[in-house]
Amino acid sequence: MPHSRNPEPLPLTGADCFLRAFEAEVRRTAKASHLSQLVLRLGPGFDGEAFRRLIDEVSRTNPIVRSPIRRRAVVGAPLYRLDLAAPAPGVRIEFHPAPAPRESASAPPLGAIPEEFFRRLNDRFDARRGKLLCFDVVPRGGAHPGTDIAMTWQHMLLDGTGSEFFVEHLAACSADPSREREIPITRAEGGASSPAVAELPGASGVRGRMAQTWHNYMQAMAAKPPASLAGPLRVVRQDLRYDELRLEGASGTAAMERAKKMAGFLTPMLFFLAVSLRAHQAVADRRGTSPASWVVPLPVNLRPKGSQREVFRTHVSLLWFQVTPEQTRDLAGLIEVLKAQRLAAIRNKLVEAGVAAMDFARYAPARVYSHMARRTFGGELASFFFAYTAEFAVAAESLCGAAILDAFHAPSVPASPGSALVFCLRGGDLDVVHVHQRGAVEDAELGVMRAQILHDLAGA
Amino acid sequence: MSREVTREELEQRIFDIVREGVLSVDDAFTKESNLIEAGLDSLALTQLMLAIEESTGVWVDESLLTEETLESVVTLSALVHQVLE
Repeated sequence: MPHSRNPEPLPLTGADCFLRAFEAEVRRTAKASHLSQLVLRLGPGFDGEAFRRLIDEVSRTNPIVRSPIRRRAVVGAPLYRLDLAAPAPGVRIEFHPAPAPRESASAPPLGAIPEEFFRRLNDRFDARRGKLLCFDVVPRGGAHPGTDIAMTWQHMLLDGTGSEFFVEHLAACSADPSREREIPITRAEGGASSPAVAELPGASGVRGRMAQTWHNYMQAMAAKPPASLAGPLRVVRQDLRYDELRLEGASGTAAMERAKKMAGFLTPMLFFLAVSLRAHQAVADRRGTSPASWVVPLPVNLRPKGSQREVFRTHVSLLWFQVTPEQTRDLAGLIEVLKAQRLAAIRNKLVEAGVAAMDFARYAPARVYSHMARRTFGGELASFFFAYTAEFAVAAESLCGAAILDAFHAPSVPASPGSALVFCLRGGDLDVVHVHQRGAVEDAELGVMRAQILHDLAGA
Repeated sequence: MSREVTREELEQRIFDIVREGVLSVDDAFTKESNLIEAGLDSLALTQLMLAIEESTGVWVDESLLTEETLESVVTLSALVHQVLE
């Protein structure tokens, strides 16, 4: 498949459009954007000027990071209008002063997360004007001096895997000035929006039936509708924060081994999903409430396995899990339920059906997807968001002269469900990041969740 | 599938499934190549095991899939052959 060097418009993938639907919803109801963020916590020696030059160069050679997302006309799929890219560099970098030291018993080992990162996660980006990517750089004092960097982007531009590839690219370029700055984009053949492991059949009738299968899959879950900790969607300003729970060294390794042992060598995410379900159940128990079910999506990486390293755009499908409160009571039993649901979904080709359904969303008005999803679940979207990334950006050891000490994802979550748990590995350490909307989970409830997570990870 | 299938035949069958339906690999990929390093992830693994089930009639319990058994087509074939027997 040819690599593009010309600034021709690039179609959004179906998954991009799925996220675009939530961008529209968040803009309308929460005065914010549906962003994603990753955090790099660096050691000493960071060269800020070299970083600025690097980002300028990468931005200049990759117009997608500053391209408006628009349709050509009223109808048709939305596009990354590479032909209308904002003038380079177009990517914002803000260098902030060092914050005043803050004492907190629950602060992560490298110190508190800079407030600027939370503010940025609640910022409003304008995708129609190519405002897709931004960096915040904050010096860090205290016992572990260094620099913290947040990379925040419109969720469509990069998925979790792609964002780590992007960080690896930045790290490689900072180590090797002669390295090619341009990142190739593979344009799919035959009118498909992107190359993927789940190629769709050409006949629209077949794709329509696949999308209907997906619709039926979701409808069946509505018999026991989920409830999130925040409750159904309401108009409320987005106010997200996140906590990082870090298991270092032997404790991180032990948790990972336990995950593989209980859920399978290549499917530890089911262990972490079970841990997340039980943490939310613990809050429901504290509140004395009992949802009819917990419903949670699991992103599935669709990149063809083994050869392609697509960086930009979203290349995922979703598998959904539904369990009752009773099924969360026993961790091992819960994992078996999740394993069975995952296998059944893959066996019934629901990964592919999800791709087909999201592909149709490319041609629908942006709001339709979120509206349909919430109508199905009585105003809810899911019980919470969940993601697991394996070893974070393995190839990136340092950036502009500073070692990467810690790295994790902090994707935004809509005010409903208002809670997201993300598990990331880095050098054997395990980061558990809980993103939550202010008011959705009280401080005491956060403590309950944290205790339940630690209990299940340690197996105590 | 007949129980008399040889391990070599099984290796070839699984090798073909991996190359043609699961991983995007080039000619450097052999039966001894490391599957994880070649890009096998959780989704690809399940798709591979389902394809093996379709081809052999045998479902290999996922608890048997370890770093060792997934090292290569050869080690995975040995496991499937063992289950077949």
